[in-house]
Parts: sequence; structure tokens; C-alpha cells
Amino acid sequence: MLKRKMLRDLMENKLAYFACLVIITIGLMLYTSVNIVMDNLYEARDTFYEEARFADGFARISGMPAAHVGRLASLEGVEEIEGRLVKDVRVLYPDAERNVYLRLVSLPGEKSNPINTPLLMGGSPLNPDGRELWVNPAFFEAQELALGDEIPLLVEGRSVPFTIVGTAQSPEFVYAMRTGRELYPMPETFGIAYLPFSVMKTLFREQDRVNDLIFLLQPGYSFAEVEERLKPRLENYGLISIFPRENQASNMILDMELQGLEASATAMPLLFLGIAGVILYILLKRMVEQQRGQIGTLKAFGYTDRELVLHYLSYALLLGFCGGILGGFLGIWLSFSFTEMYAMFFQLPGLGSQLSYKYVGLGIILSFIFSALAGYFGCRASLKLQPAEAMRPAAPPPGRRTRLEVWQFYWNLLTVQGKMATRNLFRNKQRSIFTLIGIMFAFSMMATTWYFHSVSDLLIFDQFEKVQTHDVQVNFIRPLSLKEMERELGRFPGVRRLEPMLEAPATLKHRWLEKDTIILGLPHDAFLYNILTDKGERVDPPRGGVVLAQRLADELSARVGSELYLESYWIKDPLRVKVVGVIPQYLGSNAYMEIDALNNLLGLGSMATSALLAMEQEAIPHLYNHYREAEPVAAVEESGALLDTFDELMESFGYMQYVFAVFGFIIGFAIIYNSSIVSLSERKRELASLKVMGMTPGEVLQVLTFEQWLVSILGMLAGIPFTLMLMHAISQALANDLYSIPVRVEAGLYIVALLGTAFSILVAQWTIARHLRGLSLVEVLKERD
Amino acid sequence: MKRQGEETMKVILEGKGLMKWYQMGEVKVEALRGVDFQIFEGEFVVVLGPSGSGKSTMLNMIGGMDQASAGELYYLQEPLHLADEKKLTFYRRHAVGFIFQFYNLMPNLTALENVQLAAEIAANPLDAATVLEEVGLGDRAGHFPSQLSGGEQQRVAVARSIVKNPEILLCDEPTGALDFTTGIQVLKLLKKFQQVYGKTVMVITHNAGIADMADRVFHMKDGKLAKVYGVEKPVAPEEVSW
Repeated sequence: MLKRKMLRDLMENKLAYFACLVIITIGLMLYTSVNIVMDNLYEARDTFYEEARFADGFARISGMPAAHVGRLASLEGVEEIEGRLVKDVRVLYPDAERNVYLRLVSLPGEKSNPINTPLLMGGSPLNPDGRELWVNPAFFEAQELALGDEIPLLVEGRSVPFTIVGTAQSPEFVYAMRTGRELYPMPETFGIAYLPFSVMKTLFREQDRVNDLIFLLQPGYSFAEVEERLKPRLENYGLISIFPRENQASNMILDMELQGLEASATAMPLLFLGIAGVILYILLKRMVEQQRGQIGTLKAFGYTDRELVLHYLSYALLLGFCGGILGGFLGIWLSFSFTEMYAMFFQLPGLGSQLSYKYVGLGIILSFIFSALAGYFGCRASLKLQPAEAMRPAAPPPGRRTRLEVWQFYWNLLTVQGKMATRNLFRNKQRSIFTLIGIMFAFSMMATTWYFHSVSDLLIFDQFEKVQTHDVQVNFIRPLSLKEMERELGRFPGVRRLEPMLEAPATLKHRWLEKDTIILGLPHDAFLYNILTDKGERVDPPRGGVVLAQRLADELSARVGSELYLESYWIKDPLRVKVVGVIPQYLGSNAYMEIDALNNLLGLGSMATSALLAMEQEAIPHLYNHYREAEPVAAVEESGALLDTFDELMESFGYMQYVFAVFGFIIGFAIIYNSSIVSLSERKRELASLKVMGMTPGEVLQVLTFEQWLVSILGMLAGIPFTLMLMHAISQALANDLYSIPVRVEAGLYIVALLGTAFSILVAQWTIARHLRGLSLVEVLKERD
Repeated sequence: MKRQGEETMKVILEGKGLMKWYQMGEVKVEALRGVDFQIFEGEFVVVLGPSGSGKSTMLNMIGGMDQASAGELYYLQEPLHLADEKKLTFYRRHAVGFIFQFYNLMPNLTALENVQLAAEIAANPLDAATVLEEVGLGDRAGHFPSQLSGGEQQRVAVARSIVKNPEILLCDEPTGALDFTTGIQVLKLLKKFQQVYGKTVMVITHNAGIADMADRVFHMKDGKLAKVYGVEKPVAPEEVSW
């Protein structure tokens, strides 16, 4: 019978419990789906890394005879080491609008299961003598290739045709980017191709030399130990960089993504369940207060405390259970599309959704714990009642002056309705505080969502309108002297301005910290690439010392005035450089110097690795065509093209932001609606009396809404610093060498969040207004409090 | 029964064949079964009857809190039975003052603020502090309801109704929760309102003693008006006894 009572009680306030259910469901949906996706990713990654024997360490060198590689295998701690050739070449598509690049990676022909074995996904094995390639599946698809297709590659200035005989995926290029500048994989313009070393070595001037080493560690040895032994041996071969698996670009990004997922797999469900828990607590507490008569009667019948607590707990548990089941299954469903989305970015063979009920079960337990706690604290009061006492109505709430009334000035501004609302807020401090916190969350969720929605525009705008103001960047195959560059490009039709840029890979060290980066050398009057302070002021590239990107400075824990050591493969001994400035840099993380000074420092004379061009839009295609097959240009990059693809990516993420905006809305609505429902039931009599006095339903509603707005405004104010904290935390969590997200606060952001929150409050109040209109005066006033 | 000079008195309220029934599950409960009456401006009417006789139902209808199931009800020729919720609110706001058995004060407003609350919404209110003074609670203005006795609370409720300066004061068992002496105090205020301001007062009670101070008495029984009679010489509230 009590079950039936429960169901009817639930139906009476169905919208309130429903809102609560929705929040539980969202929390568990996120919990289940994110955990499943995480499991899928971990599983696919670990299996793939294991099967493909993903390298523990990587080294780049200028060149080393292939025969010498074997000698390194005897070093202590090295299990296996392989040398290979890695080279970027251009694909000669006659009428492609953009340059398309392939990274050629040589495979040892003689070994059956080499390190970083590419997994053949389709097609046939490579012929050790023929001009055959495997390409990565993403590239294969994006270029709409078919097995047997022939593609011409520009190798050392010659066009060499290759036949595609298969698609293969290596653990090294799960997240395949050409340079750090792209931010994300663009298979439309960049792919990986595998070919036997025996074939590749005949194409390049290196001949029998390798320029890249990969190795596995013996069990029990750390990378640092091996690095120490390997480094001196590689110095003679022009060591460019040596780094462990953790710093390998593709793996690093995958790791960061997994860390991000792990954080949200914990934080989001807790947030939602917490809010649902408090709502449940308040609803149940009120119900117990309201039903004291019934509780007294039931106790008088002989129902035990245990039965009664179980009865009231069952409301919460039913909700927790339904939310758990619903959220769990929705989560499973969602995990499929989530996994598919990840499969678009991470090329992990075997990444698929597994039907896993584990998290549904765990989710139900989690939601049970939350609802049981909320339920128990909500209905605990019913235990204390003695039957006789329970059947008597509770003592009326005493009116009290509030502390606010000390401020006569404010107090006198209020209408009597305002005074009533203010005192009500203090009458139920607990609930007011909860409402305040809830509104704070809703507000911050909307503000943060909106911020990350707009920040990409901000980032791009800054980067391309203020920092990289050039139209085209031309990268050279090898460093060119400034004279050569001028000769090559200076008189190209349509070029309005030409500036050299020297990109020097280097390791910067500060105390025990070190960081690989690229130092950008820019002319002192650089106009096409600007170094800007956080206030947008231009900084001249320094002749003495370096300017660091904020993130780089943070990682080196360096400040203006710090002394750094600079190592580069162009110089023998480390140099000392002083930090003369720190600037924010949102895309990339570089150090900057004046180009001549950098050339001098590195003993290069007068070199540039790229040229930045301002040029007529119509002339850009000619530039492409002209350098399609010609030395010394390796790549022509148009700023606009990058911008377009970046926009596309942001749009594909766009719907997530709307989802979170909707979550924020639901939270705002549920909190205001529930606090209204509870206030309404507590104060039915008061409100009915006001109606009898001749107040319109609108005016009666104002009594409720005035206090809600008061709390909500305070909540939104509290939301401002909270949003800042949240944004700092998120931006710190998301920052990496490729991009960092600035926290910049603009009034517009808060206005949007304010409108969003206000909208959710208004919708809740509108729903309450309907209840209020239905309030029967006769019945309410007839009964005694 | 006709009172002297009745022809010249203005009818403020008129009911014709008023009926009210409620559907309680499968049972149809008839609360009013055809009531006809006229109430004149400035008179003091007492409605007597046992519980369940329909007197509260009638009062609720007159007060604009409830609609008749059938029949007609006019306030100064204005058909209340046809009025929508908006019009009824307007009517409650400007024409009627209501006093309940259980006071129904706002617990978190002081005595004065409770009165001000009503004054705020009225078109032509009296001064709140003065009215509170008149009901003898000038010195209790800053107290909250929980700090006032039952009689004091009811006097605040009276002040709250009077301050709107309504045409009709409707009282549902105003002394029902009070002891004799405090009950008399409240009755004195009602009489004063009628005499000083010339307004209509209607009191519902099952306390037959109060009928002695009325101009006219309605007797209700089984949802019908059983008897209506005028009182030749209404006594002063102090002389009422029960």
C-alpha cells in the first residue's frame, strides 16, 4: 500500500521529480559514455601499441650509415634499435588547390616484425624492388584513392610515380600531423606512406644513410638511462633530437585526450549527481514536513521507524534506480557516437564500441549511493517524531528581523513584498544557499561553454589578423641565404613584401628543466609576423636575448632576466641566452630572436628556412604552380586555407557546446522550479491569503520571484569568479605545446550567461505561475495550518 | 420582513437562485441549493447556521473566491457570476475585505507591514499606521505575528482588511478562535467600521449571540436560506453575550 502512496506522491510533483531524474540521467549518461569511450581508447591503444611494437624512444639525426645502426644495439638497456629514412615529399597532383604532402617512412625489408610495424589494413605486401607504397587509411580515404592507383611524388626535384598497393596504420601516426601548426590531422593535405628502405634509399641523396632511429628498451631500463648512453654516440651523426615515447607527437596528444576524458569522467557525473542529490534532499525534507500528520498516523498504526524510513528512502532510490538505468543505457548509446567521433581523429585500428554493462551497473550503484544519502538526510526528521506529536501541526515559523535590516537605506527602498521576500530568504538559509550555488553552477556552465565557443574565433582572429599577417609562408627544403631567397622570391609577380624567417630547432634549459622548441628568427622590422604582448603591443625581435612564449616560460619556470642554456645541432657547446621578454602565444609555443642575431649565435651566416610573403590574392595560385615541382621550396602554405579547415573542425565540435548549454539550462530550471515548488507548498496559505486580499496571480508570483531573483543575482555574481576559476582550470588542463587557450574575460560573455540563466529561471517561474493560478482559495484557507 | 425606509436603501449585493455543488469522487455534494437574498449598503448582516449549512460557501462566493454552479450574483448591478478571474481579482482588491477565523497573517511581516501590504495594492487606501492605531495596536506595530496573541493577530487582520477601504467586510467566524473578551474587542471594531465609515459588514458565525448586534440575520440550513429577519434594536457589541 505504501508503494501506491509513493507513486501517487511522485505523480503529484511529477515535474519536480522529473527534472531531478533528468539531472541524474545526464550525470550517469556522461559517466557511462565517457568511461566506455575511455576504455575503448585504452584498449585499442594498448593492443595496437603492443602488437605493432611501438618504439620506446626516438632520435632524429642528420645522417648515419645504415650499417652503423647495428652497433648501437649492443648498448646497455637497448633491446632493439632500427634506423630508417623519414622524408616529407610533395604529391604532384596537377590541379590540386592545395599542396598535398606525404611523409615517406622506410621499412626494413629483411625484418618480419620491425619496431613500429605498420598494420596492413588492406591490399598486398610491398615488393622490395618495385615503386610501391602503403599509405595510411585516412589519407587513402580523403584522397579517394583506390588500390593500384599511381601517384607521382616530387623526390629531390624529380617526379617519381608510385603505385599504391595497400593501406597501413602505424602506432606512430595515430594522430598524424605534419607540423605543429595544423593543430589536428588534415588527411586532405597530409598522409604517411611506407616503402622498403631498399627502394627509398635509391631515391634520396642520403643513399645508404638513415636519418631517424627508433628503439625499444630492455625491461628494467628507463629512457633517461639509455638516452645518456646513446646521446654521445649520436653526436657525431648530427643528433637533432632524442625523445621518449611520452613526447612523441601522436602519442602525446592521445595521452592528453585520455587524461582529459579521465578528468571529465569523474567531475561531470559528480557535479550532476551532487545537484540532483540536493534537489532530492530538499523535496523529501519538505514532503516529510508536509506529511507529518500521515507519519503520525502510520506510526500510531504500528509502522516501525525502519519501515517509514525505507518508505521515504524508496522515493529517492526509485529515482536513483530509474536515472541509473536510463542514464546507463543512454550512455551506452552515446558511447557509440562518441567513439565514432574519436575514430575520426585517432586512427586506432580496432577502435570500436564494445557493449559494456559494467558502467551501467557501477552507475546504478553510484546513483543509488547518492540518492540514498539524499533520501536519508531528507527523511531523517520523520524518525524523531512521536506519533502524538507528529499528528499535531508543526509550530509556525517565527518571523524574525534579518541582519539586512540594519541597513536602513536598503531596507526602506523595498516594498512590503520585497521585505517579505528578503526575510524568507533568511528564513530558509540552507535552501537559499543551495539555490545560490545551483545558479552559480548553471551560470558558470553557460559562461564557460560560451567562452570556449567563442574562444576559437578569438584565437584565430588574433593569430591571423594580428600575429601572422602574411598571406603565404614558403618553406625551403634547406636553409637559403637571404640573397638566394631574395633572388628566388623577391621579384615573383604579385609579391608586395618579403620577409625571411629562420626556424631553428633547439633545446632550452633552465636549472634542471629543459624543453625542445623552435626559435623563430625574425627581422627587426618584421611586419608579417608580429610578436605581441598581452596588451597587444608590438615587441621588436630582440638582438640580445630571447623572448619566450608564456607556456614555454612556465615550463622552464623562467622569467624576464632568467639565464637559459641553448643547445642546437648547429653548435657544439651550449650557449647562454637571457630572457628579455615573455609574451602570450596561443598557437604554438616558441622562442623569438632577431634573425641576424640568431644566425650569428648559431654560426649560420645569413640564412632563412622560410619566407613570409604579403602578396596579391590572384597571384597565389601562380606561386603554387611555379613551385609545385621546383627546388628549393618544400611547401607553400596559405594562411586562409588553414583558417578554413580550422573553422570546419570547430564546427564539428560546436554541437557539444550546445549540449552543455542545454545542461546548464536544465540545471537552472530544475533548481528554481524545485525551490519554487517547495516554497509554494510551504506557503500555500500565505499566498492564498494574498490572493484573497485582491492581489493578482502576477503579484503573488512576484513575492516568490522577487526572492528567487535576489538569490539568483547573488548566485550569478558568485558565478563570475567561479567562471574565472573554471576557465583557468580548463585552460590549464587543455594547454599543450600546440596551443594554449587564453582566459580573457569580456562583459559580453557574462551577458550571454546571464541571459541564458535568466531564461531558465523565467521558464521555471512560468511553470510555477500555472500552479499558482490553479491554487484553490477556498480549500487552502479552510484547512488549519 | 421589511425594514423602515428600505425602499430608499441601495442594494449592494443581490443573489438569485444561487446554487453550488461539488463533485466529490462519484458523489455530488450540494452546498447551496438555490439561495435568493439582497444586502443593502451600510448594514450589518449576521449569517447563522450549523456547520455544513452552506454559509461559508455563500460567503466565499460573495467574496469573489468561488463561482456559483448556477444562479446569479450581482455587486452593484455588476454580474459576478459572469466575471472572469481577472475581474474577480479586481473585485477582491477594491471592493472586499476578508477576515478569517485563523487570521492568515504573513508570518514574516510585522503587524504594520502586514497592514501596509494590503494598503499597497488598494486604489484608495487609508493610512496603515492610523488604522493600526485605531485597532489599538499602535504600540505593537513592529511585532511579528508569532509575537502577538490571537486577539491581537485578529485585530491586525481586521486592520489589514479595513485599510483597503473596501465597500464590504466579509468575516468568516472572526471570533471562532478567540476567548470571549478578545472576541468582543474584535466585534467592536467591526461595528465601528460599519458605523464610522458607513460600510457593509457580513459576519458568518454559528454563535447565535452575535446575531443580537446585527441589523439583519440570515439563518441557513441545508444549503438554503431558512429564515431572514430584521433586528429592531441592535445591541452594542459590549452587550453581546454567549
